[in-house]
Amino acid sequence: MKLIMKFGGTSVADGERISHVCNIIEKYLKQGNKVVVVVSALAGVTDQLVKACGLAGKGEKEFIKGFIEELKKRHLETCRVAVKDEGVCRLTEKTVEDTLLELENVLVGVSYLREVTPRIKDYILSFGERLSTPIVCGALNSMGVKAEWFTGKDAGIVTDSNFGGARPLMETTTHQVKARLQKVLDENITPVVTGFIAADQNGVITTLGRGGSDCTASILGVALDVDEIWIWTDVDGIMTTDPKIEPKAKVIPQISYMEAMEMAYFGAKMMHPGAIEIVMGKRIPIRVKNTFNPENPGTLISSEQKVESTSIVKAISLIRKAALITVEGAAMFGVPGTAAKIFSLLGEKNINVLMISQSSSEANISFVVPRDTLEDALSILEVKLLGGKIAREIKAEDDICVIALVGAGMVGTPGVAARVFSAVGREKINVRMIAQGSSELNISFVVKEADGERAVKALHKEFGLEK
Amino acid sequence: MFRMRIILVGFGVVGQSLVKLLLMRGKELAEDFKIHPKIVAVVDSGGASLNLKGLNLGRVLAVKKEKGSVAMDEECGVKTVKASKIIEEVEAEVVVEATPTNIVDGEPALTHIKTALKTGKHVVTTNKGPLALAMPALMELAEYNNVLLRFSGCVGGGTPILDFAKKCLQGDKILSFRGILNGTTNYILTKMTYENISFEDALAEAQKAGYAETDPSMDVDGYDSACKLVILANWILGLKTVLKDVKIEGIRKITLKDVRDALDKGCEVKLIASAEEGGNLKVSPQLIPRSHPLCVGGVLNAVTFVSKYAGEETVIGRGAGGIETASAILRDLLAIKQDISLRSTYS
Ligand SMILES: NC(=O)c1ccc[n+]([C@@H]2O[C@H](COP(=O)([O-])OP(=O)(O)OC[C@H]3O[C@@H](n4cnc5c(N)ncnc54)[C@H](OP(=O)(O)O)[C@@H]3O)[C@@H](O)[C@H]2O)c1
Repeated sequence: MKLIMKFGGTSVADGERISHVCNIIEKYLKQGNKVVVVVSALAGVTDQLVKACGLAGKGEKEFIKGFIEELKKRHLETCRVAVKDEGVCRLTEKTVEDTLLELENVLVGVSYLREVTPRIKDYILSFGERLSTPIVCGALNSMGVKAEWFTGKDAGIVTDSNFGGARPLMETTTHQVKARLQKVLDENITPVVTGFIAADQNGVITTLGRGGSDCTASILGVALDVDEIWIWTDVDGIMTTDPKIEPKAKVIPQISYMEAMEMAYFGAKMMHPGAIEIVMGKRIPIRVKNTFNPENPGTLISSEQKVESTSIVKAISLIRKAALITVEGAAMFGVPGTAAKIFSLLGEKNINVLMISQSSSEANISFVVPRDTLEDALSILEVKLLGGKIAREIKAEDDICVIALVGAGMVGTPGVAARVFSAVGREKINVRMIAQGSSELNISFVVKEADGERAVKALHKEFGLEK
Repeated sequence: MFRMRIILVGFGVVGQSLVKLLLMRGKELAEDFKIHPKIVAVVDSGGASLNLKGLNLGRVLAVKKEKGSVAMDEECGVKTVKASKIIEEVEAEVVVEATPTNIVDGEPALTHIKTALKTGKHVVTTNKGPLALAMPALMELAEYNNVLLRFSGCVGGGTPILDFAKKCLQGDKILSFRGILNGTTNYILTKMTYENISFEDALAEAQKAGYAETDPSMDVDGYDSACKLVILANWILGLKTVLKDVKIEGIRKITLKDVRDALDKGCEVKLIASAEEGGNLKVSPQLIPRSHPLCVGGVLNAVTFVSKYAGEETVIGRGAGGIETASAILRDLLAIKQDISLRSTYS
């Protein structure tokens, strides 16, 4: 099989883990597979870079030396543990040191200019993967696995110039990636590619945004037309619910792309929806696997929507820290007109609306936003809606959470909603709001924050997910 | 009057024909089409001739003829400069790409076209190589940069096969097509069929007549047809496909017995390129009934389109040729002019 294997930050957090990851790669190569490896930054490094970016942008210089030293120490240590062959280790150390020198110069430059444009930020953020990837490559080489590392740019990934969240130009990327990586694969060399980073058509470095390394895996998977994309993380796969809430949560063996996107939308952190979108058209399956339990089959995300009578609902997510806003007396423009106005106002402020409910009879509109955006949302709505007499009153509740049930089996099954609400009702939990008209693959509703976990447990049981 | 500054890359048969055509038709273009194309740079393998106010076309032709390279012009010649540098740095609306075809990596034309698109210039190419290898990528880059990529001269030369398919069948849906896309092989097969001579002899005659290159592989092994097939499949069927996806068989193995057996069945052997809705791109010798409109002789090209409502329609015409191809370039330039004018009206 031809495979993409992406390893996230926790899988490559230190030298020992990198050695472990390389053993996994070697094992699958020995079985006759061709593998393209995608690597994230060492756990925590990207966050450190974001912070450094902010400090340098404010003109701070003193921290830079120490920051670079800290990164150097961690990466060189990682290198020494993971790269066993001395010669290879020395070469890898050199790459790390050169890269850090470049980073230091950039940070100093930024601190003098006191300005961080999105373009410069992407450039700075690219260093995390540029430091981790050569180490993984060196570790493979020192094990006798022929490997060569590439930045996403050198691998041929071309994006638009939307810094911070660039989207790939897929046809151009496919053409270039085929020309550069397929040749390497044909020579039985394993390409090791930086996740997260790419370049625009002029060669300026861009990043693919949150979950960007997953996107890299998907992009390379489509470009090279691989059999499967494996996302290695630190859990056994996608779970029926958060095991911290319900210890009986199970790994879901298979879900469809649509179900996975729905779950990602409702906060499941396992995969970025953009990464799923990229492979959907080509129907390349994605497998989520655990680096620390590699024999476990994990979760397969593919085009099939397997609907079994026993699994009407596949997963339940709890989105905490939400807030509910109700706009009352939306008489002037009617409910639909007011709704449109509200969402364009919130859109301008980049506030994400998680769910919506309207009642035409009472001329009320309710919707849920992330709690940390509540103040922003209220202030803009009060000014524009109350001030403009578009609405009579705006109310907010900031102690609520959202529960979302996802599963393709809900579409044609009558009475699912009734089951949901009677299960919750038996627990004497008051449902504050029910979403309307979102996709048929999910049912979502709002309860008080304090009731959230109990509701999840009740539903997990009701739909037999622990079996 | 519409000013259009053009960078012409490649100054061989096609490039020179274009310049001659502009010299001949310049007045008519200005009067009838309100367009005043101005060539600001011409590049060949020796360098460039450059004049931002517009080159003297007669002079460029003369310098090329007398001195071998346009770069030898004493006033506006720039020796050894690379085409990609000119494309990147000289201001112009359109780049015309007419360098030799390369179907291994598409270069240097692939870089020329990419550079032009990146710097916001429309492109007209007669060079099939880059399209055959990377048409989906180039179309994407053109769209992303909001410019046009035109290539009428690549398929059918002066015969507007691409335009016919796109325009005349608007509102209908083309399901599949097949046709003779290479004049040289058709000439050879026609000679074999009607003059009863072997493949080798027919090829030699084609070379003598100037239809076939000294290295006839592009034609007789089917690559030229395959390149054109890829372009048609992308453009007309909307497939995202490249040369590697085509199953190619040429005509080297066709014997006199094959063509005679075909005649006995009321057919002729033709090198047919075909594509279906989902793909299945093929170039191979096929038996075509002599009564079928596709069964054209000599260097003619012909394509039959099968569409959902209109049924089968066949376009027949002369294939390539310097001046025919130059006229195709002109057609593309006019299309681009129309597009630019539309944009400025609505923006
Ligand atoms: N001839 C036809 O009937 C016809 C029909 C349809 C399509 N085409 C296509 O159109 C293209 C041009 O055909 P043609 O017959 O005109 O070919 P040609 O006579 O061989 O001319 C090619 C031209 O490209 C120049 N050139 C080569 N490498 C270059 C470089 N790196 N940079 C800049 N210029 C370079 C050559 O320079 P020098 O002059 O210095 O050698 C020459 O002027 C080909 O791709 C062909 O397949 C031709």
